[in-house]
Amino acid sequence: MFAHTPLRLTTLTLLAIGSLAYAFVAGFFGLEILAEIAILAILVIALDLVAGFGGMVSLCHGALMGVGAYAFTVAANEAGLGAFPAMMLAVALSAALAFVIGAICARSIGIYFIMATLAFGQMAYSFVFQSPLFGGDDGLSGAPRPDLTAIGIDLTDSRAFAIYAIAMVALTYLVAAATLRSGLGRSLVGLHHNEKRLRALGLTVWRAKATAFAISGALAGLAGCLAAQHTQYISPGLLSWTVSGEALVVVILGGLGTLVGPIVGAVLFVVLKHEISAITPYWHAIVGLILIAVVMSRANGVFGFVEARMAARKSKPVLQKANADA
Amino acid sequence: MTADLGFWVLQTLNALQLSMLLFLLSVGLTVIFGLMHFVNLAHGSLYAFGAYMAASLAGVLGYWGGFLLAPLAVAALGAVLYFTLIRSQRRAGPMAQVLITFGLIFVAVDATRLIWGDLPIGIAVPAVFEGQLALLGVTYPIYRLFIIALGLAVLAVLTLVLTRTQVGAMIRAGVDNDQMAACLGINVERMFFLVFVVGCALAGLAGAVAAPVLSVTPDMGLQILIPTLIVIVIGGLGSLKGAVAGSLIFGFVQTFGAVLLPTFNSVLIYALLAAVLVIRPEGLLPAKG
Repeated sequence: MFAHTPLRLTTLTLLAIGSLAYAFVAGFFGLEILAEIAILAILVIALDLVAGFGGMVSLCHGALMGVGAYAFTVAANEAGLGAFPAMMLAVALSAALAFVIGAICARSIGIYFIMATLAFGQMAYSFVFQSPLFGGDDGLSGAPRPDLTAIGIDLTDSRAFAIYAIAMVALTYLVAAATLRSGLGRSLVGLHHNEKRLRALGLTVWRAKATAFAISGALAGLAGCLAAQHTQYISPGLLSWTVSGEALVVVILGGLGTLVGPIVGAVLFVVLKHEISAITPYWHAIVGLILIAVVMSRANGVFGFVEARMAARKSKPVLQKANADA
Repeated sequence: MTADLGFWVLQTLNALQLSMLLFLLSVGLTVIFGLMHFVNLAHGSLYAFGAYMAASLAGVLGYWGGFLLAPLAVAALGAVLYFTLIRSQRRAGPMAQVLITFGLIFVAVDATRLIWGDLPIGIAVPAVFEGQLALLGVTYPIYRLFIIALGLAVLAVLTLVLTRTQVGAMIRAGVDNDQMAACLGINVERMFFLVFVVGCALAGLAGAVAAPVLSVTPDMGLQILIPTLIVIVIGGLGSLKGAVAGSLIFGFVQTFGAVLLPTFNSVLIYALLAAVLVIRPEGLLPAKG
C-alpha cells in the first residue's frame, strides 16, 4: 500500500521548496532545465503508478506522451482550440488510448506485457511518423503556451513557465497519490501481489488494470502537452520506445514503487545528463553503466536505498510497519 | 505491375532475404529465452558488433576472413557478458533483465561510436557473389540469394542438431523443464552457456552477412531489435519453429506491405502483432504446449 511516510513527506517538501527557490534565482538555462525536469517528473510519476504499484512495466509511455503532445498541437493549431481545451482534449485522448492498450494487454503478464506495450507504442510511433497530417519526420512546430495574462502571468517567460510546470508536477503527484489511496489503487497493488485472489474476490481484473493504465496515460498525455508547450516543437522521436525505456530507467534510478523516488530520479537524471554531456559526448554509455550497477546492486534506486536504510535503523515494530507499508 | 509474375518473384525473394536475416537473429534470442528465461535486449547490439567486426576484418583479411571471424568475436563477447552479467541475473525477473540489457544497449552504442566513429561504414560484396542472376524472368543480386541460402542452411543445421542429436535432446529437455533436466544429470549450467554463446555467434553471423547490403551504423542494432522482438513474440518465445514462422510472417508482411499498401505499411506489422497478442498471447507456436 502507498502511504506518506515522514521521509517521503520531507523529501517532497524539500523538492518543492528547492525547485521553487531555484525557479526564482535561476538564469535562462537553469529555468529550461527545471522545466525539462518537471516534464520528465510527470512522465515518470505516471509510469511508476502502473509499473511500480501495479507491476505493469510499460514500454509505451513515451508513445502516450507523444500522442498527448501531437493531439495538443493539432487541436490548438489546426482546430483552433484554446490552449486549455486543447490540453484537456489531448489528455482525454491519451487516457482513452491507454485504456484500450491496458484492456488488450490485461491478460499478458511479465515479459509478454512489456512486449505488448512495446508493440502498441511502436504502432503509434509509426503511425505518426508516416502520417502527413502530423508532419512526418519533420515534426510540428508552433504549439502555443496557455494564455494566463488575464491573471497577470505571462507563460512565454521561462520563469513563469518553469513554475507552471512545477505546479503541474504537484497536480500529477496529487492525482497519482489519490488514485493509489482509492479502492482502485488498492486493487492495483493487490493485483500485483496476487491476481488470482483478487479475481476470486470478484474484481473485474481487466477493467481495474485498464482504468489504472488510463489514469497513468492521462498523466503521460499531460507531460506531452507540457513538452509541446516547452520546446514549441514536436517530432515523432517523442513517441519512440527509447523514450519509454529512458523513463523506466529514471523510475529505476529513483526508486520503483515509491512515487517520490522517480521525482528524485528525474532531478538526478536531467542534471547528470547536462553535466556529463558537457564533458563527454558519450553520456549514454555512462547512464548505461550506472543503470547496470543500480540494478545489479539490488537496491531500489537512490530513494529506495535511503528508505530501506532509514527503515533498518529504526526499531523493529516500525520496521515491520514500514515493510507492510511498502 | 502487380499482375506481372516477375514482380511477385522479386518481392518474394526480397521477403525471403529479410526473413532469413531476421531468422538468424531471432533464433538465438528465442532459444536463449526458452531455455534460460532471459530477455536479452542487447541482442541487436551483438548483431551490430558482428557487422562492425566483419567490416573491420574485411579490410585486413578480405570478406571471408571477416565472415568467419566476426561470429567468433561476437561469441567471445557473449561469453564475457555471460559470466559478468547474464548468469547472475538469470533468476532476477524480466524487469531487471530488460533494464540491464537496456543499459548494455546504451553502452554498446556509445562504444561503437567511440571505436568506429559516427559515420556509416560500407563493405564490398565478396567477388564470388558479385553481379546478378537471371531467375524466373527477373535478375536478382547473387549476394542476396546467398543470404537466403545461408539462412536455410543454418535452419537445416539447427533443426538437425535440435531433433537428431543428444545435445539437441538435452536442450529441448531444458526448455521443457530445466529442473527436471538437471535432476536427470544434464549439466544445465553448461548447456545454458553453450546456447547463449551459439546464439551470440548467430547474431554476429547475421551482422556479418548484413554488412554488405545495409550500411553499418552505430544504431543498426537498435533498429533491428524491434523487428527481432516482433518475430519472436509472433512466433512464440522459445521455439525454433516459432522463430521460422515469425521471421517469414514479418518478412512477407513487411515486404509486400511496402509495395501493396504503402500508406499502412509500418502500422500493418504492429497491428498483426497486436492481433496475435490478443488472440494467442503466447505466440503462434510456443515452445511449451
